[in-house]
Amino acid sequence: MSVAEEIVALRERVLGDIAAAETTAQLEEVRVAVLGKKGSLTGYLRSMGQIPPEERATVGKTVNQAHQEVEAALEARKTALAAAELEASISASAVDVTLPGRVQQLGTRHLINRIADEIAEIFLGLGYSIANGPEVETEYYNFNALNAPEDHPSRGLADTFYVVDRSDDAHVHVKGESSVLLRTQTSPVQARVMEAQKPPIYIISPGKVYRRDVADPSHLPQFHQIEGLVVDEGITFGDLKGTLEYVCKQIFGEERKTRFRAHYFPFTEPSAEVDVSCGICHGEGCRFCKGTGWLEILGCGMVDPNVYGYAGIDPEKYSGFAFGMGVERIACLKYNVPDLRMLVEGDMRFLRQF
Amino acid sequence: MKVSLKWLSEYVEVPADIKEFCDRLDLTGTGVEGVEKTGAQFDGVVVGHVLTCEEHPDSDHMHVVTVDVGAGDPVQIVCGAPNIAAGIKVPVATVGAVLPGDFKIKKSKLRGVVSLGMCCSKRELGMGTDHTGIWVLPDDAPVGQPIADYLQLSDTVLDLEITPNRPDSLSIAGFAREVGAMYQQDWTNPLAEMAARLGLSDEGDPAASDATVEIEDDVRCPRYSARVIRGVKVGPSPDWMVERLAAIGQRSINNIVDVTNYILFLLGQPLHAFDLNKLKSEDGAAHVIVRAARDGEVLTTLDGEERTLTSDMTVIATPERAVALAGVMGGLETEVTEETTDILLEAATFEAGRTSRTSRNLGLISESSMRYERGVDDHGIEARSAAAAALIVEVAGGTVSRVLGDGTGIVDVWPRQTEAPRLSFRIPRFQKMMGAEIPRDFIEDILTRLGCEVSATDDADVLAVTAPTFRPDLEREIDLYEEVLRLWGMDRVPSTLPGGPGRVGVRSIEELKLDVVNRTLRASGMNETMTYSFAMPDDLERLRMSPEGLGDPVELINPMNAEQSVLRRSVIPGLLRSVAHNQAHGVKNIQLYEIGNTFHAGEGRQLPKERKRVAGVLVGAMGEAGWNVQHAAFDFFDGKGVVESLARELALPKFRVKALSAEEAPHLQPGRAAQVMAGGTVLGWVGELHPLAVAAFEVNGPVVAFELDLAALVRESQPSRPYVDVPQFPAVTMDVAFVVGEDVTHERLVQCMSSAGGKLLEDARLFDVYRDEERLGAGKKSMAYALSYRAADRTLTSEEVEKAHEKLVKKVCAATGAEVRG
Repeated sequence: MSVAEEIVALRERVLGDIAAAETTAQLEEVRVAVLGKKGSLTGYLRSMGQIPPEERATVGKTVNQAHQEVEAALEARKTALAAAELEASISASAVDVTLPGRVQQLGTRHLINRIADEIAEIFLGLGYSIANGPEVETEYYNFNALNAPEDHPSRGLADTFYVVDRSDDAHVHVKGESSVLLRTQTSPVQARVMEAQKPPIYIISPGKVYRRDVADPSHLPQFHQIEGLVVDEGITFGDLKGTLEYVCKQIFGEERKTRFRAHYFPFTEPSAEVDVSCGICHGEGCRFCKGTGWLEILGCGMVDPNVYGYAGIDPEKYSGFAFGMGVERIACLKYNVPDLRMLVEGDMRFLRQF
Repeated sequence: MKVSLKWLSEYVEVPADIKEFCDRLDLTGTGVEGVEKTGAQFDGVVVGHVLTCEEHPDSDHMHVVTVDVGAGDPVQIVCGAPNIAAGIKVPVATVGAVLPGDFKIKKSKLRGVVSLGMCCSKRELGMGTDHTGIWVLPDDAPVGQPIADYLQLSDTVLDLEITPNRPDSLSIAGFAREVGAMYQQDWTNPLAEMAARLGLSDEGDPAASDATVEIEDDVRCPRYSARVIRGVKVGPSPDWMVERLAAIGQRSINNIVDVTNYILFLLGQPLHAFDLNKLKSEDGAAHVIVRAARDGEVLTTLDGEERTLTSDMTVIATPERAVALAGVMGGLETEVTEETTDILLEAATFEAGRTSRTSRNLGLISESSMRYERGVDDHGIEARSAAAAALIVEVAGGTVSRVLGDGTGIVDVWPRQTEAPRLSFRIPRFQKMMGAEIPRDFIEDILTRLGCEVSATDDADVLAVTAPTFRPDLEREIDLYEEVLRLWGMDRVPSTLPGGPGRVGVRSIEELKLDVVNRTLRASGMNETMTYSFAMPDDLERLRMSPEGLGDPVELINPMNAEQSVLRRSVIPGLLRSVAHNQAHGVKNIQLYEIGNTFHAGEGRQLPKERKRVAGVLVGAMGEAGWNVQHAAFDFFDGKGVVESLARELALPKFRVKALSAEEAPHLQPGRAAQVMAGGTVLGWVGELHPLAVAAFEVNGPVVAFELDLAALVRESQPSRPYVDVPQFPAVTMDVAFVVGEDVTHERLVQCMSSAGGKLLEDARLFDVYRDEERLGAGKKSMAYALSYRAADRTLTSEEVEKAHEKLVKKVCAATGAEVRG
């Protein structure tokens, strides 16, 4: 067999091996055996010098051609094998996409604060700022400065938590009462703000308040209110209405109606209670709204001139309005919380719903 | 207050549509809390006209009658009453009616004859005891009219919420005035006519009627009047009065007491009737003295309770003793009984505030006290007293003595007279403040109907208004505005938003930082909760927390219960109660936080200090193991991790923690307790709660907890972190493990490394802590760090890095006694 014939035979065998290689690793073995440093074809290329000159051209041509064909076959096979292997590895790593993801537990906001946040955002958008006051208050700010009559029943021991007065000149009016108490409303913040700040005043004050109620599904001795106060030149009752109508729609939905019922509060005049139309029966009357079609949600009114008097604001120059709403009440109306006590139990199964 | 619409409609027209009426009441300031219809028990009973009457074929006493009941054909009824006859009018219970005693009227056969109803006796209708025969109605009774309407038994009783500023509405007549104003229609005040019925008598011994009145303190009692009525016969009240009182929920007592109640509910004037003879002193006259009670004075009130009084309370007394608690309740000893023949009738006014306090302090609220504490008009008392006296004579007989008050028939002491306020009503100002064009005519009409005197002034824009004395709430111009607005209708005012030069809503720094704290805690997997501000007095003791620096507890004077008798000084006990609640309900993995106030009292300080705390507890693990996740049980480092995240997000400078000893933090498990600091400022603590504290709250531990002071966090928090160039050149990382004594802390090693590593050392990351007594020796640990070296301006050469690293290792070893682990 001539050298050229040997090369042709080698080429045929190698092409067969390439076609037979089933993995890229096997293919690499074939490549090394043929084209590696000690490869069979490499050997022919290297030994060209020993080929008799008259055959050299023929052999050289044959070797080069074999080399090119082998390389092309290797490349083609390699591409094919790589594609197949990629496909195999992809199909092997397929997962059941319905398996649970790897979740980093995020904590939750308490429902009451979530609602308070929403309401605060609405008022921030209307240009209000947020004010705060202490939860343990003096009788002066909680009642007197808000024009509450000296002997108003809400001041009684049955309704208000009184606190031992540690000041040196502590004195007591009625048996058991003291000048220090747990605020029964966020309204004392009104009085504090008016003392500290000149009009225009546009504030809300969310916070905890306390009333002496036994905890049951619809009462808590500790709950939350959001107080609002506006004092400026030319504020009208229409402004009060427009503001609260807007806020109610923002909280409960555009389709809900509001109505203003005249009422009495010591620190506003005229005073009103605001109802929002029942979201269940849309005003027809149902069990949820006790047949009235309306749900009471807040109290409001024009600031009483006496309250300005305590703060030294001129009621001839300024007018304003104030309102207070119960956050738990809104929580009940929006989320149907069946038992208010759930709000203070800290049950993870409740908290993690929101 | 309960209002019978039947009674009310005697004085003012009441709208036929009750629903519309209730809505109008609600909107104008009188809340309707309940609507009760009476007379419904007579549904199906109508006036019938007996057309024919024949004997029953199979009975010797029954009759078969045909009755016209006003609708359809006459019905056939079998009737057993002896007085049945053709031509008479009778009440007929038609098929479907249900008579008292749940007696249903059905179609039936009586001895073979069909009967379609029943002719009724008074007793069968539950209206008396007469059962001798059927009730024969007058000939003019309209056939077919429901019997309840014919007899005027139908009534609607409203339960109204009268706001505390409206004492005038706490009576039928006063409320009729309000209804008149609501609908701009006239009403009839019954007072003048009732008072005019009083006749005075000159009969009998004038001395026997003698009574005097003395008021010691006219602030406590601005007016006191007395009349004497002699020869009354105490007994049952007439039916009409019993019915009136029953309709509004009042039980009949006897004719005298009923009259005082009737006048109270009709005219709003509380009255009291004394047994005159029991008041009399030795001289034979009744000497009434209105005075302050003496401290410790004892009086047995009508309800049989023995009351110990204080000097803040006012009593009605004779020279010998107290006989009634002014404005609140009469005394048992001088009450009107069956034997009473002569009475002294009190009509007075008492100070609102004192009445309210007395009532509250004694826990005794009466119809009288409720009215006095809101204000009873001192004007018109003589007329209301006359109306009452006339009614007593009408229902109980007797005569009203003329001798009192120099022949006026009334001893009337009135030292302090309320003056009617004269107010200006500036119409343009009113319209501007309400934001509505409410017309002048309406304003004048409404104020007049409410009892004000309204007149024009020189200024066309201003009305002069004199407010009535029965409206103590109308003291100022603004009070009149409210009246006009509420009756005009708040719903008619156009809605607007405040205008003005514009404004922006601003969140304070504290608010913004609070948001950061909340967001960070939630991102750390913590769930926000709220617990009570109330605490048990021994909470801190059980928690083993030192009260040092926490002040005294704020004590409640009237707590709901012993478990809530003080305010909390730490949020942790409340959170532990929530942990116990969760564990009791099978929830094992708990991550709770609360941001809320704690309260710290101090001697001489009226208001306690309030501190806003950020507190959290972690119990169990972050979650149950999943197919692809495992959660390690919480330990100290989970709590610390949360705190470290807060430090990062708040940009707290020089954040560090310092180990706390058992003495410094007895509530924490020693060795797992740390103080949290920013520079020199203490922010709070983090650690695992002491197992004894955990057990004291009936919680299964371990419990990782932290409590930080929000004000301190806010104060130390930097507005922003500075920008640092992002590295352009590669870092070289070298690992090293130092074997050190247990007393050498990570913090110490890091300090040594950063001082020795100089500028090139960028980071030292602890990646392994290893203990092995055999290989490392007792009391030793291996701390392995990955150290990154980097220069900001060039790629470091390996020689540079090796030189720096070698120097660092040598210095750290020298400073801490560490050996490098090979």
